[in-house]
Amino acid sequence: MSKIFLGSVTAAIAIIACASGALSQTKLSRNEIINSLQGAQNEVNISADELQKAAIENIEKYPGANSPQQLPLAEKLASLRQFNLEITFHFDSATIAPGSYETVGLIADALHTPYLQGQTFFIVGHTDAKGTRQYNLELSIKRANAVRDALVTTFQVPAEYLFAVGLGEEQLRDPSNPDAAVNRRVQLINLGYK
Amino acid sequence: MKFLRVSASTVFLMMSVSLASAQTVGFADAIKILAASCGKDIRAYCQSASLANSGITNCLEKNQSRVSQKCNADRQIVVGLIAARLAAQSEVAKICNRDMAQYCKGVKPGAGHMLRCLLKAKPSVSAKCNEAIDLAGYR
Repeated sequence: MSKIFLGSVTAAIAIIACASGALSQTKLSRNEIINSLQGAQNEVNISADELQKAAIENIEKYPGANSPQQLPLAEKLASLRQFNLEITFHFDSATIAPGSYETVGLIADALHTPYLQGQTFFIVGHTDAKGTRQYNLELSIKRANAVRDALVTTFQVPAEYLFAVGLGEEQLRDPSNPDAAVNRRVQLINLGYK
Repeated sequence: MKFLRVSASTVFLMMSVSLASAQTVGFADAIKILAASCGKDIRAYCQSASLANSGITNCLEKNQSRVSQKCNADRQIVVGLIAARLAAQSEVAKICNRDMAQYCKGVKPGAGHMLRCLLKAKPSVSAKCNEAIDLAGYR
């Protein structure tokens, strides 16, 4: 009797899991952000200034239309808990488009939860490779700051845990397609507890 | 007709009262109302306003004589919803004070440690504290 009961419970859970799995594929959810970001252990020793400087130096050291290689910190960053988001801005500006308000709200919802409280995050802006590297770097810095500013003021996420960095086109997601849309993104990286 | 109007407003009142006492909505659900109801007005009058520092809702308020009726109604609702969620979050420490002392002894304060302890201790935690955690959107 109890075995039958258990069986039906498992079936019910499986159906619920399937339904939510299907949903999360089509629409971004708060829990998707939390699940990707949580689980950081000790604090990682990279500062936002250090990362920002690395991108600026990369342009100075290796000038040219495209970045010849990954940033020195790339490997270390790749090992951290992180999540990529698409946030739309007005053309050539750091103003967040209304269509992306909900996404910024979801980041706020996620960062306010106990699961992510007390951990330090980088908000990293990336562009595609169209335009000059210097211009893209500056635009991405402004856009990362726009996201951070919205989070810490309108949605009151504690400011001391959030650091904005712009990497322009120095860290493409798809280096074989430098102009592809997939390169334009805002990346959240969990640097762990202080 | 008059009766109808009274009953409609009564229903609305009951709804808003139960909303205020029984639930809050997340920041994403609140701010997406603004995008849906005010998107056109934002593009027309607040193109360069920032989402930071309540820049969008302040700009819409400044332009309220030109903004659509629906946007004018909903922008105020959105401001209220965000404020309600923030208030619910700041209430948790007070409402759950005794539960923290009872079930989270030795847990260090700050950095969300206490709240994570309360989430784990849900079956033991008082109904009031569990409700406060739900209202804060912490679960």
